[in-house]
Amino acid sequence: MGLTRSLIEAMAPDQSALSAASALLKPAKWPVRARADSLIWGECQGSGANPYRVVADTADHGSKCTCPSRKFPCKHALALMWMYVDNAAAFQPGSIPDWVNDWMGRRRKGAAAPVSTSNDAKSLDVAAATLEARPLDPLAEARRKAASGKRALETRRSVRSATEDLDLWIEDQFRTGLAGFLGELSERCRRIAARLVDAKAAALASRVDEMPSRLLTLPNDGRIDAAIRELGKLALLTRAWRAQPDDPELRREVINSESRDDVLNNADAPRVRSTWEVLGEQITTRRDGLISQSTWLLNTNGGPQRFALLLDFFPASAGRRGGAFVAGESIDAELAFYPACAPLRAVIAARQDAEPGDGAWPAADADPITAHAAQLMAAPWRVETPVLLSAGRLVPEGKLHWWRSDTGIVAPLRTAPPLLGMGAAIDNAFGLWDGARLSLVAARTNWGRLAFDA
Amino acid sequence: MHDIDGSLSRMRDAWMAGQSARACCPEAWRALADSEAALAALAGVAHETLYRAAPAKPLEPRPLLPPLAAPTLPEETRARFRRIRATQKSSAPIEQELLHLIAARGFCVHPGDWMPGPRDDWAPDLYSPWLDWVRAEATAPHEEELTADTYETWSWGERRLALVRMRESNPSAALAIIEAKAATEPAERRLRLIEILAHKLSETDASFIETLLKDRSDRVAGLARAFLARLGKGDNAEAPEAELADMVELGKTGLINRRTHIAFKPLKTGPQNARRLELLNLVSLAGLARALKASEMQLVEAPPAGEWGAIQAFVNQVALSGSDEVVRTLAGHVVESADLLRCAPVLAQRLSLEERRTLLERILAHDAGGLSVTLAFMGRDLGVAALDAVLASPAFAQVTHCLDTALSKTDNAQPAHGNALLATHLNHLGLILDARGARDLVAKLAERGLSPADPKLDVLYLNAALTTEPQS
Repeated sequence: MGLTRSLIEAMAPDQSALSAASALLKPAKWPVRARADSLIWGECQGSGANPYRVVADTADHGSKCTCPSRKFPCKHALALMWMYVDNAAAFQPGSIPDWVNDWMGRRRKGAAAPVSTSNDAKSLDVAAATLEARPLDPLAEARRKAASGKRALETRRSVRSATEDLDLWIEDQFRTGLAGFLGELSERCRRIAARLVDAKAAALASRVDEMPSRLLTLPNDGRIDAAIRELGKLALLTRAWRAQPDDPELRREVINSESRDDVLNNADAPRVRSTWEVLGEQITTRRDGLISQSTWLLNTNGGPQRFALLLDFFPASAGRRGGAFVAGESIDAELAFYPACAPLRAVIAARQDAEPGDGAWPAADADPITAHAAQLMAAPWRVETPVLLSAGRLVPEGKLHWWRSDTGIVAPLRTAPPLLGMGAAIDNAFGLWDGARLSLVAARTNWGRLAFDA
Repeated sequence: MHDIDGSLSRMRDAWMAGQSARACCPEAWRALADSEAALAALAGVAHETLYRAAPAKPLEPRPLLPPLAAPTLPEETRARFRRIRATQKSSAPIEQELLHLIAARGFCVHPGDWMPGPRDDWAPDLYSPWLDWVRAEATAPHEEELTADTYETWSWGERRLALVRMRESNPSAALAIIEAKAATEPAERRLRLIEILAHKLSETDASFIETLLKDRSDRVAGLARAFLARLGKGDNAEAPEAELADMVELGKTGLINRRTHIAFKPLKTGPQNARRLELLNLVSLAGLARALKASEMQLVEAPPAGEWGAIQAFVNQVALSGSDEVVRTLAGHVVESADLLRCAPVLAQRLSLEERRTLLERILAHDAGGLSVTLAFMGRDLGVAALDAVLASPAFAQVTHCLDTALSKTDNAQPAHGNALLATHLNHLGLILDARGARDLVAKLAERGLSPADPKLDVLYLNAALTTEPQS
């Protein structure tokens, strides 16, 4: 049985899901909509930095979305099917992408959403009408703003107290000896992180909580210097925030990030339209139960070297999530950068059809790792700097693997590269330098593109 | 700089021990820093900007991974290859067969998608330069031919390949090199060198092979015995042969066309059965024939019968020590019987490519075990079966049964193993069929209701794409 409006109404978990789906029916929110055989799929720009990938089978009505919603089908899947029913011609015939194939391989046949037989009032027409008729109440809006301002003030007071506690904690680690600190790294960091969470310094808490995983991947002899660096950066960050609590970048590092809409509506957020190559994606499970998804982009339209980071978090309980992009693909997009001394994190403001270009990477600096020193001058609390590396080789030596440029600049790698990395001539590479170790993400080599599990 | 270096080291020591670093920090920092944390911030920035780890020795990159003689998989098929490998956890592994299929079609995989491990001797020959690279064996360009004098300058993979080719064009030259150099190789490689002599084995090789009977490796000595037996030069110790002859029966079968027929009836006790198996492994076919006062050919005039373990051992005996003609005759019987079919792969290693392809259709007609016997029989020569032969096979009937069962399910009750079984069957068909057959089979399965986007069709799609012939 093919898809129909009544079938979508029956599959929807509730009326609110349909209402939310109706807000996603604008074609501008869907840079990709395509179909092949009974499959339809699309990419929807949701509230995250990375777009959600949605696929549905019009034959058996199964669907999948990369959003973290617990509702099934989620609003994105409902919107995709709704748009298809209303105007199938808007879906371009295309070849099935890998991520759709992956879903086809994993799914259980027949695992479509249960069709409700109850008399719950669920209606696409009502959902569409609700959206149009939603009135704005100026009084309620004023009350909301006042409450929000009050909450912000309380948060600031609470966070100030927590950062002072963190300073004391850092001093304690030095006073009691870093040997003991490294011996009880996880426990000690977890305790102070919990204090920071209670005080609403969520971003700072995550950073402290993740410190053990960053330090413990290093060999023993490198941990003490790394611990000194990390503790020093934390101390700089807390002082900087107390001096300028309204600074958006510092607030992001200590409390939380602005929403996507805040960035898009911020006149100070720099916007850059370019052709961006997806360098790679890092998916990390954090100790607080969240999974961070980082997508690194590089402009390839011939302008100066510019990186962008699309960063999203979602709960690990939401299950495995497919990548938002394929490494190596190009997108023509306008990015809105979060305001910062050296803007890096961004959201996609608008996407256009990609125009084929030569895709060449910008020229790498003579010693790209000095870019890290420059970034430290602007934001000394940052942990990593994205760097573009010139031609070179990867070389094993001792217990480490090294990147060596053709001009003789060397840097130790954080993790061993794949075997091919040692046998390939690298034309260009992209990685993250943390002041001591280089985490490679992607390289262009004589064997083509090479991805690293950074 | 030197002062900072010393200061940072002393500060580190102080903090490790829980002491203040204020006394040992650079003079200028004392005025700037009001706490240990502030000193740590300064020390951290100094570390990150002034120092960078340096290797203990000058870095010596490994040689570049050499390109192979074959082109890499077309870019559009690489993702499919990766996906097939990734799904191996949920179905029977087919990595080796897949690589053989790709090699048989004249392609190699991209090293970013797969590279051999140092022990992957099974890898198709074209990957030999990568095996050498993975094993860090020197590979230098060779303008001169492989000889006993230049042997050491060639990597193991290169010299083995060169000897295989030389054995085809100039068997005595290959023999001379193997004779001169086999003793210098370790046992495993010595065995691989001696195995090369199996091709075009002749009387000329006999004197060298006789010297291997006392090799310190049992496997090499065993191979030498088998080679000599094929040449009709087995040892003449009659005792075990006579003992074995007492444990088999030679009779006649057929009403009109009377043929000699060997039978292995169950013996009275387990130890007796075990002894018979031991003797079948020990005695050559020629020796058994001699003891039974028959010719080798008479022993295989009709399919062997009787106890299954003994039949298997007998087929092994023929594969090891029978002449080419005897092996061909027995293979002809084996592929005609669903019961004996499991023995076919043992004989395949003695058959030429053409002989195996000739028997393929008959094997397909009897292989009801999901084509696993067919795959083993064809070895590296995959992707050659015509669709008509496959459509008439029991394997295809199994596929359609699995597919119909899967499509008839409308709820979540479909067992996972049913899907896995269908995936395994389709994978095997994808390895067996020729490119045109693979493409046409996808269309047929789609007509039956399987979604063309179903990843279970990946091997068939990959097969269909691996052709340089125009697609009509």
